[in-house]
Amino acid sequence: MTAASEALRRVGDVVWEIPASARPDMRVPARVFADEELLEAIRADRSLEQLENVACLPGIVDAALAMPDIHQGYGFPVGGVAATEPPDGVVSPGGVGYDINCGVRLLALPLGAEELGGRTEALVHEISRAVPAGAGKESLELDAAALEDVLRRGPRALVERFGIGTEDDLEHTESSGRLDGADPAAVSDRAHERGHAQLGTVGSGNHFLELQRVDEIFDAGTSAAFGLREGQSTVLIHSGSRGLGHQVCTDYVRRMDGVLARYGISLPDRQLACAPLTSPEGREYLAAMAAAANFAWANRHAMAHAVREAVARVVGRDAANGTRQVYDVAHNVAKLEPHGGRELCVHRKGATRAFPAGSPDIPADFRAVGQPVFIPGSMGTASYVLAGEPGAMERSFGTTCHGAGRRMSRTGARRRIGGAELRRELETAGIVVRCPSNKGLAEEAPFAYKDVERVVDVVARAGLGRRVARLRPLGVVKG
Amino acid sequence: MPHRFVDHTGEVELHVEAASEEAVFAETLAAFAELVGRGGDGEHGRRTIELASPDRPTLLVDWVNELVYLAEVDGFLPGRVDELTLQGNRLRAVVGGRVGAAPANLVKAATYSGLELERREDGWHARLVLDV
Repeated sequence: MTAASEALRRVGDVVWEIPASARPDMRVPARVFADEELLEAIRADRSLEQLENVACLPGIVDAALAMPDIHQGYGFPVGGVAATEPPDGVVSPGGVGYDINCGVRLLALPLGAEELGGRTEALVHEISRAVPAGAGKESLELDAAALEDVLRRGPRALVERFGIGTEDDLEHTESSGRLDGADPAAVSDRAHERGHAQLGTVGSGNHFLELQRVDEIFDAGTSAAFGLREGQSTVLIHSGSRGLGHQVCTDYVRRMDGVLARYGISLPDRQLACAPLTSPEGREYLAAMAAAANFAWANRHAMAHAVREAVARVVGRDAANGTRQVYDVAHNVAKLEPHGGRELCVHRKGATRAFPAGSPDIPADFRAVGQPVFIPGSMGTASYVLAGEPGAMERSFGTTCHGAGRRMSRTGARRRIGGAELRRELETAGIVVRCPSNKGLAEEAPFAYKDVERVVDVVARAGLGRRVARLRPLGVVKG
Repeated sequence: MPHRFVDHTGEVELHVEAASEEAVFAETLAAFAELVGRGGDGEHGRRTIELASPDRPTLLVDWVNELVYLAEVDGFLPGRVDELTLQGNRLRAVVGGRVGAAPANLVKAATYSGLELERREDGWHARLVLDV
């Protein structure tokens, strides 16, 4: 047992805390939302030590928080949340991660899974042809002016320049798909080079597109507000800012690592490199991060367009036109938000904003029920649609989890099952699989993840979000 | 074993053992090549890489990030180090590989988390966590 594990104390039904006194460099406590079984998995890697490290950041307020899907990352744990207060509070590029605005978008098709019937495999296949995966990048290649517009305005640039997607899509995207203050000039030439030909591509790792069926409704009223009904077909898109975002993080972690001494900052992990929010480095990172976040929203927007075109080819143009965007949420981002009468910079690293009913920052048609949150499980299990709850504003800076959370390394997953065997198992379970790499498929095996039912149960018990619907996979296109 | 991938819940943790610091850099390239694999044959190519960093461990991170960049933008997948010189905190290398082969897997970046590059009794050791 690590020192961090030993210091952990239960402070609520599903809330655990390491006091700030556990280490001399901790400025605030480290707080974990979990039940006993999840905690066992969390204790098995270095998640808690990394959470303690986050609690050392200058200007952090209240506590370093861990969602129930937390696992070991680099610098910040994945599933970590930290709010810092200007002017001395810092922004940490590693606290957002390399895949800036990695996130998920849910599309609802105007037909049930049974109506789709024998066309399920054809639709999954068509989606796999329409959205380049892995290292593929032959998609919507942008010239310099168009890329700059995307960096400034996100998917709105695609709607207005190319007629891709709709105003309704923009309205049903977190922050309307655009973070203010984005500055393409703060994004390096290298990042531009890596991003310009990657719009509309899913990438690799744990990114995917999944065709699903609404399996169960838990909250009929909220489900109706989200436009979801039992048996309906949906498509979940999980991807981020691709090489452009990765390069922005690389550039700014290196830059901030070089100015720590200037600001008198010492850190327990170099990957937490940071600078005051009001410093030139902090401001420029926020401008570059906003540009990369806008690129990520445009990326998922372009993929949603490709999905609609696939629906048109397999089901028909009316079905494509009736395919509605439920919402799009970011998982990796730092945002300036008001909490408790203060403006804070909330870092969410593998965590989802989950604002409750009444929030002015969510679409008008969801304002009575709360913001939709999507929790992907794993291939072969289930995903959840949640709604933000008031408890999230009180206890987690308006945040909930972002997925099931890994519990096993990629190499561990590959040791346990081969890609071909997993492919057969999923297909036997009636799930269509399209994945260019058996190795990549095995790394994402369902047993490599925590139990999504348990993760969602903790979120509900903690009052961070409530269950709205469960989605079962019909087919998966893996990056 | 000159390099091995150690269990890490979220990412890939690389450990390298080598007789010299130069050999650590060459072996790290071999590990990178193993990780990204190759999606096709491509054509033979060579690239000259020149880097300057604040210190040697950072130079190792910059080395991998240069390989990430070349793979993604240039379609260059490294296969071997033909020449490699370290002078102070500068590196100059000539790398042979394939152009246009497309990686089978992607690496997002090398991180500073838990970064180690140090001399031990039996040679040089490096530890590097890669975001994949």
